[in-house]
Amino acid sequence: MGTIEVRGLKKVFRQAVKDPGLAGAIKHLFTRKFTEKTAVSGIDLTVEEGEAIAYVGPNGAGKSTTIKMLTGILVPTSGEIRVMGVDPFRDRMRNARQIGAVFGQRTQLWWDIPVRESFALLKDIYEIPEDRFRRNLNTFIELLGMDEFLGLTGRKLSLGQRMRADLAAALLHDPKIVYLDEPTIGLDVAVKENIRGFVRALNRELGTTIMLTTHDLKDIEDICRRLVIIDHGRIIYDGTIEAVKDAFATERTIHFQGTFEESRLRELADRLPAAEVTIHEPGHFSVRFNRFVTGAPEITSQVMGVAEVADFRISEPDIEEVIRKVYEGGIELPRLTGMGA
Amino acid sequence: MKGAKKYVSMAVCSMQNSLAYRFSYIMNLTSGLITLVSLFYLWKAVFRGRTEMAGFTWQEMQTYLLVTFFLGCLLSWYSEGRISGKILDGSVSLDLLKPLDFQKARFAETVGSLAIEGVVSGIMITGLLGATAGISVPHSPLVWVQFLMSTAASVMVKFGIVYMTGLICFWTTGSFGVVWARIAVTNLLSGALVPLAFLPEWLQKLAEVLPFQAIVHVPASIFLGKYSAPDAAGMIVLQFAWAAVLWMCGKWMWKGAVRQITVHGG
Repeated sequence: MGTIEVRGLKKVFRQAVKDPGLAGAIKHLFTRKFTEKTAVSGIDLTVEEGEAIAYVGPNGAGKSTTIKMLTGILVPTSGEIRVMGVDPFRDRMRNARQIGAVFGQRTQLWWDIPVRESFALLKDIYEIPEDRFRRNLNTFIELLGMDEFLGLTGRKLSLGQRMRADLAAALLHDPKIVYLDEPTIGLDVAVKENIRGFVRALNRELGTTIMLTTHDLKDIEDICRRLVIIDHGRIIYDGTIEAVKDAFATERTIHFQGTFEESRLRELADRLPAAEVTIHEPGHFSVRFNRFVTGAPEITSQVMGVAEVADFRISEPDIEEVIRKVYEGGIELPRLTGMGA
Repeated sequence: MKGAKKYVSMAVCSMQNSLAYRFSYIMNLTSGLITLVSLFYLWKAVFRGRTEMAGFTWQEMQTYLLVTFFLGCLLSWYSEGRISGKILDGSVSLDLLKPLDFQKARFAETVGSLAIEGVVSGIMITGLLGATAGISVPHSPLVWVQFLMSTAASVMVKFGIVYMTGLICFWTTGSFGVVWARIAVTNLLSGALVPLAFLPEWLQKLAEVLPFQAIVHVPASIFLGKYSAPDAAGMIVLQFAWAAVLWMCGKWMWKGAVRQITVHGG
C-alpha cells in the first residue's frame, strides 16, 4: 500500500450558465440552468513513500483539483483517497498534521507580522516541540538564505523571498508528504535553483514524499524521477522521465564547430531526410534531426564530409518537447505503468 | 487545556495585526466619535424642557450614549471584515490546510484585536468623561463586576452574530449587502440606535426574545443600575446562554459552509 492511494477519483463541478446580456441575467434569477463540468474523471494513482512525482498537464487539465482533493480541501464526487491511511476530507485535522503544502500563487504567511513570528505561530499551531522547531528553522534559514528577511512582514517580501519563506513554513512540522503547486512560478533563475536544490535534498536525504505540479520542466527534471501527465481529467502517462524521453523525444540536435562552406552545408541539408541545418555564427552550426529517421553517426559522418569539424556535442533530448506535443495533442502516449503501480 | 496554546498565539498575533492597522482603526473610531457627538446634540434637543423620557433622565441618556459607543468600539468592522474577507478572497482554503478549527481560530483573532480596541476606546472614553460633566458612573463595585462580565458576554454574542453573517458570504458573492443588513438589524434590536424603551411595545417584546439585546441593552442597563443585582445576574446568565447557542449555530452553519467550498470549489 502506497503513501498516497487514489482509486477511481472523480470530481464534477456544477457551473451556472447564463444567457447573454441583461435579459439573460434576469432570466437566471428565476430559472437557473447548470452544466456539469468534469474536472477529474476517474484517476488511479499510487505514490510510494519517498517518491518524488511530477504531476503535469496543460491548464485546466485537473491538476489543481486533484491536489485540492488530496489535501482535503475539496471533497471528491466519487472515488477513494487514502493519504497515509487517512481520508483527507473526513479526517481533515489529522491529515493536515502530516502534510505540507505550498501554493505558488498564494501565501500562507501572515501579512502584517514579521516572517519570524509567522514561523513561531506555526510552531504553536502544529504543536512542534521547541528543539525540533529550532533545529528545522536554523537549517531552513541557512539552506534557503532567509537571514536577511526574517524581520520583515509578509507584505514587504519580494516574490522570491516570499516563496522561500512559504516553503519553510510548510515544512517546519516535518511533514511526511509535501505538495508543491507551482513553487517556482515567476522566480528568477537563482532562486529557482535554490528552491530546486532544497526540495531535492528534502526528498533524497529525508525521504519526504514530494508531489509537484509545475509548468517549468526544469523543475521536473531536477526534482522528480517519476512523471504523471494528466489531460482532460485523465492520466495519460505514468512512468519514469527517462522512459518517456527515450520513447518520444524524437528530435535531437548536434552542434558542430569548425570551418565549412555555407553552400555545401546547405546542399547536405537537402540530401539528409528530416534534418535541418542552422548556421549560428561563423564556425558554428547545428543539425536538428529526427533520430528515428537518421541516426547520429550517419549525421556526423555526412557532416564530416563537407566540413572541417573541430568539435561537436549532442544535446540531451528535451522533455519539454515531448510534453509540449502531448499538450498539443500531437502524440498519443500509451499508458506506461513502469513504476509504483 | 491542551491544544489551546495555538489559539492563544493566534490571539497575540492578531493583536500585532491590529496595531499594524491602528491608523484605520483610529479613523474608524473618529467617525464613531462624530456620530456620538451628533447623537449627543440630537438627544439634548429631544430632552429640552423635559426631565425624563421613557424612564431615562438626560444624565442617564448621556451615560447610555457613552456606554453604547464603548461597546460599539469592541469588535469593530475590522474583525468583521476579516471573516468575510477570508471567504471572499478564497484564503479560507489555506486555513483548511492547517490543523485549526475555523471558528475557534476566528474567535481567537477577534479576542486579540479586541484587547487593542478595548484599550484605545477605553482611553478615549476616559478623556470624554473628563470633558463632559453629568455622566453617572456606578459606585458599587458589584455593578462594575457585573458590567464587565456582561461586556464579555456581549462580545461573545456579537461574535456569534458577526461570524454567522460572515459565513453567509459562502453563498453570496459579496459582503456589503449582508454586512449592512446585519448592522441595521443589530443596531435597532440591540438598543444601539435608541434604547429599547423608546421602541413600540411589540418591537420591545420582539427584542426581548432575540439575542441582539445582549449586545448593548443588557450591559448598558446594568451600568445604569436599571437592574437589581439578582436581576442583573440573571440577565448575564441569559447573555452567556445566547453566546453558547449562537456558537453552536455557528458551528452547524460552518459545516454547511464548508460543504459549499469543498463541493463547489469556493
